[in-house]
Amino acid sequence: MFARTGQQSAAFYVLPALLFTAVVFIAPLASVIGQSVWNGQFTIHSYQSVLSSSLFQKVLVNTLVISFSSTFVALLFAYPMAYHMAKQTPRRRALLMMIVLIPFWTSILVKSYALMIILGRNGIINTTIGYFGIPALPLLFNRFGVIVGTIHTLIPFMIFPILNSLLARDPDLGRAAQIMGAGKLRIFFKVTLPLSMPGVAASFLLAAVHTFGFYVTASLLGGRGDLMMANLVDLYTREILDWNMAATIAVLLFILCAVFTLLMGRTRALSTLAG
Amino acid sequence: MRETAATANHATWVSHCANAWAWFGYAFLVLPTLVIIPMSFNSTDELAFPPDSFSLRQYETFFLKSDWLSSTFLSFKIAIATAVLAVVIGVTAAYGLARSSFPGRGAIVLFLLSPMLVPVVVVALGLYLYFATLGFSGSALPIIVGHTLVAIPFVIITASSALRHMERNIEAAAMIMGASPFQVFRKVTLPLLKSGIIASALFAFLISFDEVIIAYFVGRAGFSTLPVKMFSTIQWEISPVIAAVATLLTILSTGICVLVTIIMDRK
Repeated sequence: MFARTGQQSAAFYVLPALLFTAVVFIAPLASVIGQSVWNGQFTIHSYQSVLSSSLFQKVLVNTLVISFSSTFVALLFAYPMAYHMAKQTPRRRALLMMIVLIPFWTSILVKSYALMIILGRNGIINTTIGYFGIPALPLLFNRFGVIVGTIHTLIPFMIFPILNSLLARDPDLGRAAQIMGAGKLRIFFKVTLPLSMPGVAASFLLAAVHTFGFYVTASLLGGRGDLMMANLVDLYTREILDWNMAATIAVLLFILCAVFTLLMGRTRALSTLAG
Repeated sequence: MRETAATANHATWVSHCANAWAWFGYAFLVLPTLVIIPMSFNSTDELAFPPDSFSLRQYETFFLKSDWLSSTFLSFKIAIATAVLAVVIGVTAAYGLARSSFPGRGAIVLFLLSPMLVPVVVVALGLYLYFATLGFSGSALPIIVGHTLVAIPFVIITASSALRHMERNIEAAAMIMGASPFQVFRKVTLPLLKSGIIASALFAFLISFDEVIIAYFVGRAGFSTLPVKMFSTIQWEISPVIAAVATLLTILSTGICVLVTIIMDRK
């Protein structure tokens, strides 16, 4: 009886959060959707003009190319780093965790600014190679700059789920394989890697969806041809002052993320977060 | 199938390479930010690495000669309000979710975490349109509300994991002794959750203090936070005073990370 009354009243503690999220999240989302189809009357005109605009098509391709290529390269870093962390003693792992956590919590502006200093025309790399008589390389304000910036942000983001799945595996499996005579490489490719694939898939999709909405990286490190969808939303909101178009692009970005999130639901990445 | 000595050597060589690659990754994560620190002590208005002389000129500009400080104060105010709101709403929600079972609980968890999955720019545009119709322009409230929305999922996740690791028997004991559910929450659960609450408050503060997009969309004239001012400055020039601002921001986020690690460790 005790437990029952306690359990029911505990549910009320969720109410403030539900109310807040409904008022501050659902209502604004509804106004974005409303703005995209309402222009004095109901119309899907803005969807027609967005989808047929060559600028939007280019920006959509940009977004997908930048997101997937950055996520792929970031994975090439994140997996070996997570694997390296998983092998350490808990104490050393905690130390390495700090190395990963600090950039994760560092402002995106600070990270972008740092990369501007390093990659710029008079930046550290070009100054250094200049000493050796090598002409300056175009590293900033182009696709390369955006991808480097995105990778830098994604690596810590991707390490956590992979590390979790590596730490959750049963160490006896590797030991069993070893006793059976398998070498280190064989154990890695036949046991460790296949077992960590769910974590890898979850972190890949999570990171790609996260990148679809990137705004700062492309606007600071990219050139004119590297606009992403979030930049286009901003362009229509602040410069072209066409809220219908801005809202339509925002809805399409939302749909893009929702589709990939549903895909991710199959990898059960989310359910592990809050129990 | 025993592996030969040659393949064993091969494996050692591969694992050395993998370790070196991992260390290259750590360096790539950490070094760029460290480069900013010497740049911030530059004396000239041009960016040069390494700086040719040591001076505090950029910090002087930040603290004395410009409107950077008022943006910083605004960011502090917004971040503190965000931390308080997000912790109050998020911790109570995490408690409710952890200590109850009702139909549709999973859907509610997903709903409360969903702001994390939606691109911030969509939320920002939504708040911009929403508050424009409500007529709240010219106040910090829309920014605080937007930041709180983004911070709540982080608070819920942090507090949920703290609640999972908590000894439930103490709550049960208090209840058997006749404490009401609210008394249990107030006098037993909250004190036990103290370090989790402090950690989530610090992260909520940092999320708000560093947030650009929402503040950029909904903040009107006279309400540009530090990141917004920094963002619009970087877009036009790579002014060296930015190096000083970036150094201070890095110290803040590093400090908070270290503090959280110490708090969580002591438990």
